[in-house]
Amino acid sequence: MDIQITGLRRTFGKVTALDGLDLTVPGGMYGLLGTNGAGKTTLMRVLAGVLPPTAGTVRVGGHDLATRTGRLAVQRRLGYLPQDLGLYPDLSAREFLDYVGLLKGLDDTAARRRQIGELLDMVGLADAAPRKLRGFSGGMRRRVGIAQALLGDPALVVVDEPTAGLDPEERIRFRTLLATIAAGRTVLLSTHIVEDVAQTCRDTAVMTRGRVVFNGPVADIVQRAEGVTWELVGQGPPPATGVVVSAVSRPDGTHYRLVSSARPDPRAVPVQPSLEEGYVALMHAGANG
Amino acid sequence: MTTLRQTWAVTRYEFRMQIRKRSLWITTATLAVVLTFSQGDRGPRHLPPGTPPREVMASWALLMALLLPIGFGMVLADRLTRDRRLGLASLLESLPIGRGALVAGKYLGGLTSTAVPAALVLLIAAAGETAHRHDPALFAWAAVAFVLVTLPGLAFVAAFALVCPLLTTAPLFRALFVGYWFWGNMLNPDLFPSLTGTLLTPLGDYPATWLMGERALYAGADGWLQFLRPEPGGAAAVAAIALLLALSIPPLALASPLLRRRNLSA
Repeated sequence: MDIQITGLRRTFGKVTALDGLDLTVPGGMYGLLGTNGAGKTTLMRVLAGVLPPTAGTVRVGGHDLATRTGRLAVQRRLGYLPQDLGLYPDLSAREFLDYVGLLKGLDDTAARRRQIGELLDMVGLADAAPRKLRGFSGGMRRRVGIAQALLGDPALVVVDEPTAGLDPEERIRFRTLLATIAAGRTVLLSTHIVEDVAQTCRDTAVMTRGRVVFNGPVADIVQRAEGVTWELVGQGPPPATGVVVSAVSRPDGTHYRLVSSARPDPRAVPVQPSLEEGYVALMHAGANG
Repeated sequence: MTTLRQTWAVTRYEFRMQIRKRSLWITTATLAVVLTFSQGDRGPRHLPPGTPPREVMASWALLMALLLPIGFGMVLADRLTRDRRLGLASLLESLPIGRGALVAGKYLGGLTSTAVPAALVLLIAAAGETAHRHDPALFAWAAVAFVLVTLPGLAFVAAFALVCPLLTTAPLFRALFVGYWFWGNMLNPDLFPSLTGTLLTPLGDYPATWLMGERALYAGADGWLQFLRPEPGGAAAVAAIALLLALSIPPLALASPLLRRRNLSA
């Protein structure tokens, strides 16, 4: 299910969250990177039909989200995991999924129950299925969230910051789960964690200030930091020039890695950039541009 | 058909979630016990032997209606607002279900979940009365009193309790609701202009008066808005029930746009 966005604007009063955004998402697993406040969540909510665009067009699988019929057509084939999804504490995991399944229009009771069982199994919650959701950990809640998103076998899955706040093991588990479900459908993963995109997506868009500043293969982001990534070993504070990406304290001093268009210090040496440095270079260029 | 099925699904789950709330049962039990043991000489426990069962159970229904709806209004006040508080509003908006079906389901689920303990209280009262009046017809009249006296008021309270917190906040609504309840149902209209004794009283004063054959509380008593205070009787009771049910519709009709406005501002 392809997504075509042209000139998308979304404002909240005087605040512009999306500012003439253009983006094409072909299919498969697609990343959406950006800092907090870049407009990712607003874009996700527009794509899920939760928010109407202020201006511009959004077509998902050929359906125009500005119309009610188009929105409904997309929502029937959509799985959405919102940022900070809450759950009804008084329901069990199985009941919650049953409720969402019914609202998604899965009227065949036997088929719905079978699918819920399979999804609970897939997210590793089969044993916890009869337990009330109020006792679930953050990671378990997130897995219930992805299970509900997958109910009805959606062609488009939109997941907003799914790994934020999870411990490293849960994060890896969740990432793997997302990569698994991407086969045969479009999965749009919004995150500010570069590593999540690096490990799961071939292509990504990078957003800042309500606009897309990069759209292409994840590997190409690294190129943006070539020639502008430096390493410096020093005893004092980091140099004032550039953006410090990492600082590791070792016996010979603190090893700084920086992104800077100019050599930040006479002792700094150019190094091969990482994806994270490519992202920082991109964001820095976006902020200055 | 899909809309009906979705409304039914919301009703079922809303009922399930609500009926499991301990606060609903604790509130009902506490208020029912307080009312049972604090009723005055005019209360149903003091009705003489031989009193017709219809009068006995109408009297019980009216007694319980004095305070139980306050508890139900409190409990229902967060049903539409809590989806947003719990972080479920975005998910619900993304599902292919209209807001109308969602609101209708929440209303019906909330209403039935409060109707169950209210009906149970009346059945327990009927059982208690049957033990010493030895008239099984009391159960049948408990059902009639529930439908005519209790249910219309509950339908009215549930609609406002569901929707008003979208305009204010649930805690503020609860405070205002308690004030309204005493002013609009129990304040003697002779003392202060109030809705007490009018057709708009959700207490069930008119239907109870009709069933009891004598003025139950203030139905038809002289006061403010005299045109809403007809002489009690069958027609007035039907009019009171119809008015309460009709008045439940406007807040429910407003719920969808209010919910939309609220979710868009998030």
